[in-house]
Amino acid sequence: MCKLRHFDAQEDAMAHAASNSPSVTFESPPSSFRAMGLWLRSYVNRILASANSCRRNRSRCCKRTFNRDVEAEELQDTSTVCLSSYYSVFMVRLAIMVMLAILIGMLTLLTWHFTKVYTQRSLDTLAYGLRFELLQRPMLRMWNIINSTVEITTAQVKLSEYVIRRYSKPVNQAQQVELYEVMRDVTWALFASQRALSSITINYRNGFVQAFHRDHRSNKTSYIYSDLVNYSINGYDADTLSSHQGWNDQSIHGNMSAIWYRQPLDPVTGEKIGKSSPIPPDELINIAGISQIPDGAASWHVAVSKYTDSPLLSAALPVWDSSKESIVAVVGVTTALYSVGQLMKELVGFHSGHIYLTSQEGWLLATSSNTPLLMNSTTGPKLMMAVDSEDRVIRSGAEWLQRVYGDKFPLNDEVHIENARLGHQLYYIDSFFLNLKRLPMVGVIIIPRKYIMGKVDERAFKTLVVLISASVCILVVGCVCIFVLTNGVSKEMKLRAELISHLDARRKAEASSNYKSQFLANMSHELRTPMAAVIGLLDILVCDDCLTNEQYANVTQIRKCSTALLRLLNNILDLSKVESGKLVLEETEFDLGRELEGLVDMFSVQCINHNVEIILDLSAGHVILRGWSENPNSVLSSGKCSISQKDSWPGQKMKLKLHGSHGKRSLKKENKMVLWFEVDDTGCGIDPSKWESVFESFEQADPSTTRLHGGTGLGLCIVRTLVNKMGGEIKVEKKNGPGALMRLYLILSTPADPNGAGKHCQFKFKEHKLTMLLALNGRMGRSTMAQWLQKNLVHTYEASEWNELTQTLQEHFKASYMHIPPGEFSESEQMHTQGISISVVVIVIDIGLLELSTDIWREQLAYLDKYSSIAKFAWILNHDTPNAIKAELRWRGHLLMVSRPLYKAKIVQILEAVIKDQQMELQKYVTATIEGNLNECHEIDAIHSWTPSSDDSDKSEHDDLRLASPFYRTPNASPSLNRTPNGHHAEFAHVRYEENACNKKNPGQTREEEQQSPITCLKERETVRISMDEQSSLKGLRILLAEDTPVLQRVATIMLEKLGAKVVAVGDGLQAVEALKFMLHSSELRKESPVEDDNSEIITANGLSLLPYDLILMDCQMPKMDGYEATKAIRKSELGSGSHIPIVALTAHAMSCDEAKCLEVGMDAYLTKPIDRKLMVSTILSLTKRTA
Amino acid sequence: MDGVILLQKQLVDYSTSLYKEGFLDDQFKQLQQLQDESNPDFVVEVVYLFFEDSERLLNELSKTLNQQIVDFKKVDAHVHQLKGSSSSIGAQRVQKVCIAFRNYCEEQNTEGCLRCLQLVKHEYSLVKNKLETMFKLEKQVLAAGGSIPMH
Repeated sequence: MCKLRHFDAQEDAMAHAASNSPSVTFESPPSSFRAMGLWLRSYVNRILASANSCRRNRSRCCKRTFNRDVEAEELQDTSTVCLSSYYSVFMVRLAIMVMLAILIGMLTLLTWHFTKVYTQRSLDTLAYGLRFELLQRPMLRMWNIINSTVEITTAQVKLSEYVIRRYSKPVNQAQQVELYEVMRDVTWALFASQRALSSITINYRNGFVQAFHRDHRSNKTSYIYSDLVNYSINGYDADTLSSHQGWNDQSIHGNMSAIWYRQPLDPVTGEKIGKSSPIPPDELINIAGISQIPDGAASWHVAVSKYTDSPLLSAALPVWDSSKESIVAVVGVTTALYSVGQLMKELVGFHSGHIYLTSQEGWLLATSSNTPLLMNSTTGPKLMMAVDSEDRVIRSGAEWLQRVYGDKFPLNDEVHIENARLGHQLYYIDSFFLNLKRLPMVGVIIIPRKYIMGKVDERAFKTLVVLISASVCILVVGCVCIFVLTNGVSKEMKLRAELISHLDARRKAEASSNYKSQFLANMSHELRTPMAAVIGLLDILVCDDCLTNEQYANVTQIRKCSTALLRLLNNILDLSKVESGKLVLEETEFDLGRELEGLVDMFSVQCINHNVEIILDLSAGHVILRGWSENPNSVLSSGKCSISQKDSWPGQKMKLKLHGSHGKRSLKKENKMVLWFEVDDTGCGIDPSKWESVFESFEQADPSTTRLHGGTGLGLCIVRTLVNKMGGEIKVEKKNGPGALMRLYLILSTPADPNGAGKHCQFKFKEHKLTMLLALNGRMGRSTMAQWLQKNLVHTYEASEWNELTQTLQEHFKASYMHIPPGEFSESEQMHTQGISISVVVIVIDIGLLELSTDIWREQLAYLDKYSSIAKFAWILNHDTPNAIKAELRWRGHLLMVSRPLYKAKIVQILEAVIKDQQMELQKYVTATIEGNLNECHEIDAIHSWTPSSDDSDKSEHDDLRLASPFYRTPNASPSLNRTPNGHHAEFAHVRYEENACNKKNPGQTREEEQQSPITCLKERETVRISMDEQSSLKGLRILLAEDTPVLQRVATIMLEKLGAKVVAVGDGLQAVEALKFMLHSSELRKESPVEDDNSEIITANGLSLLPYDLILMDCQMPKMDGYEATKAIRKSELGSGSHIPIVALTAHAMSCDEAKCLEVGMDAYLTKPIDRKLMVSTILSLTKRTA
Repeated sequence: MDGVILLQKQLVDYSTSLYKEGFLDDQFKQLQQLQDESNPDFVVEVVYLFFEDSERLLNELSKTLNQQIVDFKKVDAHVHQLKGSSSSIGAQRVQKVCIAFRNYCEEQNTEGCLRCLQLVKHEYSLVKNKLETMFKLEKQVLAAGGSIPMH
């Protein structure tokens, strides 16, 4: 009980079952079970409730996510499935679900485990107590029985001893009988007092037996005694010494002579109720003999009798005589174990289960069943082994025990076995050992588990089922929730992944487009080299004098094509440069008029090739550049800005409107102004849908016409990029009539002093009385020019063809001509003597007016010669005007020749030249030297870039670039180079003038040659010029060549030496720097001691010429110190001295970035390998001339 | 004299074939134009300079490329030099291979580089043989008392 309480208290402490009664009694275990069940139920309820609340929460979440799902689904249409992200999301989901499953599983298991294990443990404890108690009771009963038996026996013995002592030494039969009578009464008293006794026997020494026997079944009591006759009183003495030996059971049973009587007695009073009758020995009850007390001590054993079906417990005690020396009688008490069985039955009947008692050997003593405990054999009833019991449960329990423990049954140990499976049921088996002297007993209780744990097991099972189903539900709900919740996330992730992949793709595409443009740039560079070679070779071929006319024409055609191809390449280069953002614009001042003139120059040749006249009309207020096609099908290219679309704009007008100081400037602050350009044409126009796309790279308005019109589709793209860079905008405008109108504006800042510009071209027309006859083909050009001239108070006549010219000449100049007497000189003398008041007449004649196809032009020239005395002739030449004609003109003294197109600046030039000539003439007239003027050859050849020379491609490239960005000059055109178009003009004019000067030196000779045969002479002149350039152009120059490759070094050295230069070659940049340093040093030394040196005058005259080298050719890639480093070092050393030695880069890299790099480190120019001789010469000259 | 003319014709044919097969280009012609009385052996001199330089570069290249870790910068520099010198004498086939070589260099493609090296060596030996044969012919012509026909 205590134990049970203790466990209850423990349970209390665990606070699981607060409602549990702490006073659970043994009799009321179901209440505890009920409490347990209640507790379990509440627990489960609690779990379910929390699960429900969870579910509620989740359902709320779900609603939210469903809303989001709808939104996401809308997006889903646009999204494509990204498999990898899908799988990753799927995996994440799976992982979360698995984790949830594991969690819930663990919770379930733990819950189940705790509920079950603690209940079971407490119940087990309870059950153990119960079983223990159950078994203890029959054991106690048994113990009681044994005890009472022993007490009775002892009492009998004591009484017997007393009686026998009283009647010791019986002397006669009567005394003897009296003794027996007394004994009988005493015994009866004892027997009657103990109803449980089965029998009491007294076996005297002489063999006389007295016994009371009670048959419980028939409830009969009888007295059994032996015949007294056979026993002598003396027998005692005789047998005294024989002591125990004489005693044996055989003496009783074997004594056949003894007659046994049985006398039925009244069970209550002991009165004899019947006659005593002799009984056969086999009906005799067990009489305890001397054999049962071999050692004289009390003994008991289990016996059987045929009167009872239960075993009997019989105890035997000797009755000693007064002297305690001999045993006079043996008292035996037999008790039926029937009552134990009865108790067991009662217990079992209440608690179910089985109980049995066995002796140590396994003999069945008592069972709770009704099965017989004795076995009927031939020799009478015998004790049964437990394993032979007819009760199935007991038998199987005993068998089980035997199987488990065998013979080694733990004697002193109690066995408690749970869950022993007997048959189909589980049982608790407990055994207790009752250690009685001589009769150790084993009690076994077998209780079906169902009885104790049945409900608990059921509840546990139910709990488990409920828990599992609940957790499965939660799991399912959780999985669904996870799915729903992650669905949105997964969609987001999908979108994000898609976005990332898109970005990736875009980056890749960008990279590939970068590669593409880089590739294009590289390719164009690679292509430029052979193209330059092709053009150069063509130049050589053109110079060749053994070509037929046809061949010459073909070669020229090839050359033009090559140039066009080169321009395409340059376009691509430009584009890549612009796209790569390497083009940096620089803000400088410029003269718009001059830029436009340069532009006109540039494109005039192309215009003429396409039979289009280009006219520059600079009127007041705004600038109009007009070009139109006289043949509507022919083509005009009108500047860089329309180069790619040129073919689609036959016949176009380009207007440049300068909104200067009036309207716009007030709007624009900080001296900004807007320059509008309009490109107007009358061609096929551009479809409005393409107005935007024409500005994309590689886009053309009509791709199908690409073949027809050509072009790369890059021009407008470049234009737009440049315009945007300059802060402007370009777009196609709506236009009435055919063609397209393009308008672009640039925001420019005005120079600091707006009046400073534009003054230089002012020419004092008024001071000279000028008369001008414009004999020009183009109507438009002529009229605009005439208008302008008249505005400047120049008397102007116009003529559009030869006949008109002659007519005009005759009309207006005839008079003066008629006045002049024959003889030119005298006439002119007269004119001059008449005074300077006579107006200067200038006749500007287009060479196209002459009939060049036949030989008539000579006659026409001869006709014009008549007027040469009164007028100055200025010829407008075409670029393809044959040299023969030029020579003829020159021969005839028409030295003023300008190339097409005619514009203001050229007219001014012509007029200046004329006036200068006039003045010189006057001077000459004064000094009477007339001849000089004949040799003046003012060939104003502004279209130098189209004279056939191999370097023009590059120059035109430069020009292109500059024209495209006239306002923001690229920084790589360093100011020191002075590379503006005007700079070029100047430079080339310089060369030409120098050449002319050469001619001047030996005028007679040239004259002679020209007179001999003008055509060959000219050709020779060309070749002479070239060879002269080559032979001596570099004469006197000292060049330091830094080149590591010996081959190149040698080649370059020879090349330069052939050109007359002195070359010092060094192997690397370091040497170059050293050489320069040394020289500088020595020159400084010389400077310090000017007296010593003969050249002191020169030194003092010009410090710069002291530099030993006029130029350095620097390879870029060299060992030890490369070209860039060397240049940097040189420039650094120059910092203090203020000198600047030109450095020309020599590199095999044909990339523009290399050029930029070269210029960045301080080089002045850039040559690519292999060295082109002419380009090199021109570059070197341009650099050295400046310093000279 | 017939022998001389024959030799001259042979020389002309041979050199034309060199141009046609693309071993040489205009640059070589320019070299020949540079040769005059003051530099009678200019072409031969330059070409032999080229041979020396190229052999040095090729050795360097094979050494560099056979190393465990290839220094592509170095290789690139060498190939650049070789390209420069070959283009200067007009050995355009060598030059072309050099261009491909440099591309592989930029890609850091060792295998391609090695292949190109073999190709360059091959082209170099070819052009060397051709040029040497041509010089031999020129010598024969000169020995026979003829003059070298200008192209």
